[in-house]
Amino acid sequence: MNFVDWTFIGSGAKVTLELLFGGLSIGVPLSIILVILKRKNLGTWLINPYISIIRGTPLILQLSLIYFASPGILGIKFTVLEAGIIAFALNNSAYMAEILRAGVDSVPKGQFEAAETLKISTFYTWKDIILPQVLANILPAFTNEIITLLKETALIATIGGADIMRKSQMLAAEQFTYFAPLCIAGFLYYILAVLVEFLAKKLEKKIHHA
Amino acid sequence: MLSIKNISKSFAGNVVLKDISMEIVPESIVGIAGPSGGGKSTLLRCIQGLNTVDSGQILCDSKIGFMFQDFQLFPHMTVWQNILYAAKLEKNKSIYELEELAHGLLKKLDIESLVERYPGNLSGGQKQRVALARSLMLQPDLLLCDEPTSGLDIATMGEVVDLLKSVCSKQTAMIIASHDLDFLTRIADRIFLIKNGQIIAHMVVKDLKDPIGYLRTLYGKS
Ligand SMILES: Nc1ncnc2c1ncn2[C@@H]1O[C@H](COP(=O)(O)OP(=O)(O)OP(=O)(O)O)[C@@H](O)[C@H]1O
Ligand SMILES: [Mg+2]
Repeated sequence: MNFVDWTFIGSGAKVTLELLFGGLSIGVPLSIILVILKRKNLGTWLINPYISIIRGTPLILQLSLIYFASPGILGIKFTVLEAGIIAFALNNSAYMAEILRAGVDSVPKGQFEAAETLKISTFYTWKDIILPQVLANILPAFTNEIITLLKETALIATIGGADIMRKSQMLAAEQFTYFAPLCIAGFLYYILAVLVEFLAKKLEKKIHHA
Repeated sequence: MLSIKNISKSFAGNVVLKDISMEIVPESIVGIAGPSGGGKSTLLRCIQGLNTVDSGQILCDSKIGFMFQDFQLFPHMTVWQNILYAAKLEKNKSIYELEELAHGLLKKLDIESLVERYPGNLSGGQKQRVALARSLMLQPDLLLCDEPTSGLDIATMGEVVDLLKSVCSKQTAMIIASHDLDFLTRIADRIFLIKNGQIIAHMVVKDLKDPIGYLRTLYGKS
């Protein structure tokens, strides 16, 4: 194992992180919108099947569909990175929406009522009373979903994305040795996952009291 | 300050309040007694606007405060934040005035030492004081209390009587729902007995020799 191994596989981390952050930065806001719409009973006829279908079909199928089928059906040819971000964002939004909904349901109705009796406006009720409690409740599940997504970005290799996984496979094929490149890839994923967990623990400490 | 005219309320066909009327005047303490499920909480919730009424009218020109039976303090905020949060949003007083007011209330309720604590590690009586302070920060003219003595021992109940009475002396009227007759007769000027959603008796406490005994006999009758 030499120095080049590391940097070659490590350079795939850029793609992995782009997919992770791209997926999250679209998926999370989308999930919030889905939950708000659902609470207002708007478009539930569309949102419920959407969440159900995304959760009930393999991510690799969703990814392939977006990358390979969209030129024929939508007339748009996405790059590998675009297709990846879209697929991971949509997938993430469905899971996050379920986590969020459960989190909001876990806040007692009395908290909304208490805010109402204290004449706190809807906006401040959500911002300062409800969401901080939701966040505290869902943080473990939220972290879990981020780590799951991090590992699932490896599926991008199936449509040719040059992420950590794909680069380790390329190196393996070139050098006819699997053990070292795959170990390095595994190590990189693991470090990233530990990092996510570490940040989540810090945040958890900050918002959990007593 | 509050006039309730012939209100009725049902939940999914189940009639909970039937043709209830009452008048509340400033500085009075009104007790709502009655068996469990009689409609006491629902009446308070209708006055506050947490429930809508099906018919009748509630005319109110006063600022209402509400104390929940389970307090509903905000668990992620300290006692200090719980007390000040809503009052700060109102923006009709300076922060300095609000902090003065809060310190005064904390002192009166004897909970100054708790300001940094979170509701999760307060006793029932302490939570209640915090909830009372939180409501009073908005300086209501009419305070609605749902079962303020539930979960408290007798000694603490006596303190609640003193606390609420001292609050009321400052121009705050009160409506207190409770099934604790001993407590109600000690604190209220007038008591309405509500059973199966109807007012079955109305009494002025100081006119009666044995108000508890009188209420007990009425409890039995249907
Ligand atoms: N949101 C609701 N939906 C359906 N039924 C309700 C609802 N709220 C109250 N009820 C019913 O209305 C009736 C009166 O309830 P309420 O809580 O007002 O009684 P209460 O006099 O406060 O009783 P308690 O002493 O036990 O607190 C009960 O039969 C209750 O089941
Ligand atoms: Mg009740």
